[in-house]
Amino acid sequence: MIAAANTSYLARIRPGWKFGALLILSIALYLISSWSVLLALFIISIAILLSARVDLRQLRLPLISMAIILSVVFVLLGIQTDWLNALRAVLRLLTMCLLAYAVSLTTKFEDMLELFQQVASPLRLVGGNPAQIALALSMTIRFIPELKKVYVEVREAQHARGLGNNPLAVTVPLVIRSLKIAEETAEALDARGYDSAPSPRQH
Amino acid sequence: MSRNPSSSQTKNTVYIAVFAAMIAAMGLLPPITLGIIPVPITLQTLGVMLAGALLGPWRGAMSSLVVVVLAIAGLPLLSGGRGGLGVLLGPTGGYLLGWVFGSLVIGALFKYWVLRRTGNTARFLAGLASVVIGGIGVIYLCGVPWTSVVTGLDLGTSLLGSAAFLPGDLFKAVVTTLVALTVHRSYRGLMS
Repeated sequence: MIAAANTSYLARIRPGWKFGALLILSIALYLISSWSVLLALFIISIAILLSARVDLRQLRLPLISMAIILSVVFVLLGIQTDWLNALRAVLRLLTMCLLAYAVSLTTKFEDMLELFQQVASPLRLVGGNPAQIALALSMTIRFIPELKKVYVEVREAQHARGLGNNPLAVTVPLVIRSLKIAEETAEALDARGYDSAPSPRQH
Repeated sequence: MSRNPSSSQTKNTVYIAVFAAMIAAMGLLPPITLGIIPVPITLQTLGVMLAGALLGPWRGAMSSLVVVVLAIAGLPLLSGGRGGLGVLLGPTGGYLLGWVFGSLVIGALFKYWVLRRTGNTARFLAGLASVVIGGIGVIYLCGVPWTSVVTGLDLGTSLLGSAAFLPGDLFKAVVTTLVALTVHRSYRGLMS
């Protein structure tokens, strides 16, 4: 769900504007009760998605899982209330999700993170430290492949012992090794004098 | 290790990041299938429960929040390779936000209640109750009304839909309790 070098007109709009528009539209969709307006908006959202030249292959899996959930919702709502109401709910959700995917697929991951950090920056006033937030996010991205490797190793090792499907036998070693990695990294950062606190550090 | 505040703050950040990565890794691998429960179990919410039970309220909630933020920003970290803004706005977005509050509640209960119990049985029961309250109660409390608001289904139907995941979640709560108590026994002071 990352914008892979999208150069359409949507990619050139600033992420903050796209987010704001998505937020307002999502709320507006719930205030509209005419199914023909909702259908028109749904068609417009498809047009936006197509005109933004997004990579449609990236959308295949999310759309399949979306379709399964929505067909269940449609049938349940249709039985409980009436079918027009079910159609409205499904159109609303589809429009909202297609627009959300259009924003996701035309915004670079770095820009999205930067926007989140801007949104989180008022936390400074209540004692939050933006540098630590940025550190946590980037460190997590760096640790994911490592933890995935550890998880695969643990599962393979336990599989060899016939315990591959035993969640306890898999989770305990995974947690212990995660804690070790955290300890070692914290020590390494400490040894290199990494300091993200705003006040000067005294030794 | 925590001789001055800045070093302990960095240490906290490292723990948050490593556990967030663990939650993400648990969603990247194919789920474990068990004989007793028909639905395959993804370990991702197990990671969310564990983050709270092991790191305490604040750091646990932050770990979950980091995963949610990265997923919403576009990384395909959620089980089944899902990610992006659509996940938050869709019918199951509430469960995702529930993770943050779920690990917060589990962490608080573990820190101030479970770890102060003595005796193995009392600890296990208190631990299980905490994980069920935070990891199932709180997460469903965020997820069920969200589904109902977003889709227009009534609360009862929405609750019934989530009941399909209850056996798996109860099983994960038992696993979380056992793992957390085992790890706390060898790593004392994990929450201090």
